[in-house]
Amino acid sequence: MLQLVVAGLTVGSGYALVALGLHIILRATRVVNFAQGEFVVLGGLIAYAVVTNLHANVWLALVVSTASGFLLGLAYERLVLRPAARSGELTVTIVTIGTVPVLLYGHALVWGSLPLPLPFFSGEADAAWHVAGIEIGAQQLWALGLLAFALAILGVFFEKTTYGKAIRAAAENPLGARLVGIDVDRARSISVAIAIALAAFGGTIVGPITLVGGAAGIGIAIKGFVGAIVGGLDSPVGCALGGLLVGVVDKLLEGRFGYAVSDPVVYALLIVMLLVRPQGLFGTRRAMRD
Amino acid sequence: MSHRMRADARLLPIFAAIVVAFGFLARDNANLIQAATFAAIDAVAAIGLSVLLGNVAQISIGQAGFFGLGAYTLGYLSTTATWPAGIPLWAQFFAETALGTLLAAVFGVVLGFIALRFRGHYLAMATLAFGLIVVGAAKIVPGLGGAGGIPNIPYPQFGTLAISGAAAYWYAWGMAALAATMTFNLLRGRTGRAFEAVRNDELAAEAVGVPTRRVKIAAFAYAGALAGFAGTFYAAFLGVIDPNAIGVNLSIDLLLMVVIGGAGGVSGAVLGATILGITNVYGHDLENWRPVIYGVLVIVISIAFPRGLVGLLGRPRRTLATAQDVSADVPAAPAPAVAASRGESGGAPPWLRVTGVGKRFGGLVAVDDVSFTLENGSLTSLIGPNGAGKTTLFNTICGVSRPTTGSVEIGGTDVTGRQSHRIAALGVGRSFQNARLFGDMTVLENVLVGAYRTENATFASDLLALPLSRRSGRAAVERARAALVRLDLERISGVRARDLAFGDRRRVEMARALVARPGLLLLDEPAAGLNASERARLRDDLLGLRADGTTVLLVEHDMRLVMAISDRVMVLEFGRMIADGRAAVVRDDPRVVAAYLGTA
Repeated sequence: MLQLVVAGLTVGSGYALVALGLHIILRATRVVNFAQGEFVVLGGLIAYAVVTNLHANVWLALVVSTASGFLLGLAYERLVLRPAARSGELTVTIVTIGTVPVLLYGHALVWGSLPLPLPFFSGEADAAWHVAGIEIGAQQLWALGLLAFALAILGVFFEKTTYGKAIRAAAENPLGARLVGIDVDRARSISVAIAIALAAFGGTIVGPITLVGGAAGIGIAIKGFVGAIVGGLDSPVGCALGGLLVGVVDKLLEGRFGYAVSDPVVYALLIVMLLVRPQGLFGTRRAMRD
Repeated sequence: MSHRMRADARLLPIFAAIVVAFGFLARDNANLIQAATFAAIDAVAAIGLSVLLGNVAQISIGQAGFFGLGAYTLGYLSTTATWPAGIPLWAQFFAETALGTLLAAVFGVVLGFIALRFRGHYLAMATLAFGLIVVGAAKIVPGLGGAGGIPNIPYPQFGTLAISGAAAYWYAWGMAALAATMTFNLLRGRTGRAFEAVRNDELAAEAVGVPTRRVKIAAFAYAGALAGFAGTFYAAFLGVIDPNAIGVNLSIDLLLMVVIGGAGGVSGAVLGATILGITNVYGHDLENWRPVIYGVLVIVISIAFPRGLVGLLGRPRRTLATAQDVSADVPAAPAPAVAASRGESGGAPPWLRVTGVGKRFGGLVAVDDVSFTLENGSLTSLIGPNGAGKTTLFNTICGVSRPTTGSVEIGGTDVTGRQSHRIAALGVGRSFQNARLFGDMTVLENVLVGAYRTENATFASDLLALPLSRRSGRAAVERARAALVRLDLERISGVRARDLAFGDRRRVEMARALVARPGLLLLDEPAAGLNASERARLRDDLLGLRADGTTVLLVEHDMRLVMAISDRVMVLEFGRMIADGRAAVVRDDPRVVAAYLGTA
């Protein structure tokens, strides 16, 4: 049982990063990015390519994958989201949906449709500790630690730096931000870029455990969204906690009933949450209107 | 008729002719006939999504889930159910089809409930989850065959005729024709106008009495039902249904069909389904490239051609053409109707009584303990400096927001916190400060939406184009034209609302509120932005309303107008009522003077 909780926290850190990314993009563009999960998968695959083709260190792969995520995010915002925004939010939502098959089958064309391995962060064989009868792998600690690291950086960026505050202002009130001289379009593309970088980062830190590639993206996007809804879409901390919680629930269900049951049940949780407590555990009622 | 309806009216007969001709010409080419059969099945599901996306502006990427519900219902029942002896096979098949369609509709209602609380994209995620839940359920629910699905589903049997091959082609296109006709009927009627109103402006739709929530649920149920209906025949035609057939890819394919063809109405969906049906035949070698290309197409087309191919084919000729359309099928307008003199019946409860109403936003008190009762048939003005809380008070009366304290009674009924459309249904009309019209609809259509609550057509009667719907629509058009005549707007009845000049916009909004003959009319700054002659006209209109016995509450800044026509003037400052009485008395009240001019 506790073993499953630990496993759940690990995959949950991936969901937490997806939830956060969704939160950031939602704030900036007012739409949910359906392709978020595909960018997670793509990030993992980029890391895989760096490791296998360039024989590089996995840490370098993490940096390259995150940086590629950032650049892809810039391109995604500029080429897909922004042109669609002219025709309204519904159109933006539709193009994010259209991006899903492009990435999903696109990376299958490059890397095949089977999941691929990513090396562990601390060497060939994953070190493990045994605490009170539970095995904790080093990678699991890495995943949680790097999640905390990413959260801290984001927190400092959005709360302490002027630019981070400007981005939040641009998301909160575009007209007001424009009036005080903030480049709202740029703030928007930086937001999307950060969110996609987070997705790629998440795909890489969880990759050694879950494998990378395959058709996992849609499931990841929905589970990340479930995490965001459970935690409260308007609360970044709530999103992170919600993502972890979904990971744990997912693994507990999977351990007990198998994934054929756990997946649909977690998806059903989304519908139940939306019907019963749409503001999430940590969010406010206001979030519902967004 | 919107441009999409006109495109449908023009294109659908052409499609029908092509389908018939193709059925005869290609009858010996089994591959083509099969592809065209699948295209028809997809078209049925795509029509539902097109209505949802294009007419109601709600998104679903779970249509494959509804499709799956229909397919599995038919697959399961036709392979396991034992029907009592004597029921012919065709009747069994139709019963199974009906059950599958119904089940999908029921789940459509459930998803629709989520739509009540959320804007599009939250819901889209929920619909995606729903689709995957259906796939998951298909894999694990006992009796559905797991990943292998249900094989050996028999062909539908009509007497000695098995519905396969060419017969399946005719049956599937028959289904598509049925779905197309019913959808066309639906969109042409009261329901379609409600859809369009919800898509354009939910708040205004509520204010004129359209139950926006119920309308959205109905749209989801309808889209779900059509997808389920399509699924039933898919299973019967293919002879097998498995979880792979109802995955996310199908939902995205359906979305692409609608995006390619053009969302809204019927013809775009049919065109899109046909195009994808053809590319599916010739695109088998593409394998993984196919979904990549489809995804790129979804992106490029939604950005570059948001109205799809149908939008490109028939660029609508606007304004004049529409005006002629309308006058052609509408009888000459009757003389302006005179509202019943409701106000004169002595013992009737007051149209509006406000008791101790307060509204706070966080720490800000916008309205503070306001009480008043309107004398029936009177014209009362509510004035006050900017930010005094006039519009907030209006909104609590109309049910746009719930008062923090106090109660509102309309005609003796406590309506505190009720939904806007239910308050409107009691006979309350309103206008908005910034004139909220349904921009994509013509002037006549805007006013017709105002007549929504006086119509007795139902969803079912619209769907089947029953005489009830025709009568109801004709009566509504007569009322709408009468309202337009009364406000001297009939010359612009065919103009799209977003193309109107500001003054006309206000008058159209007034006509939209008046068409249902409200007993109580709330007008929020109707004179703002009007020129001198328009103001004079407004003054006459307001006096005419009072002469008819309509109770009017007017929020207005134009003092000359207010003082000239009001039976009573109430003054609000910082959310409090500081003066209340006859115009001349209020005008000289020192507190009012101070509020407007400041004190020395």
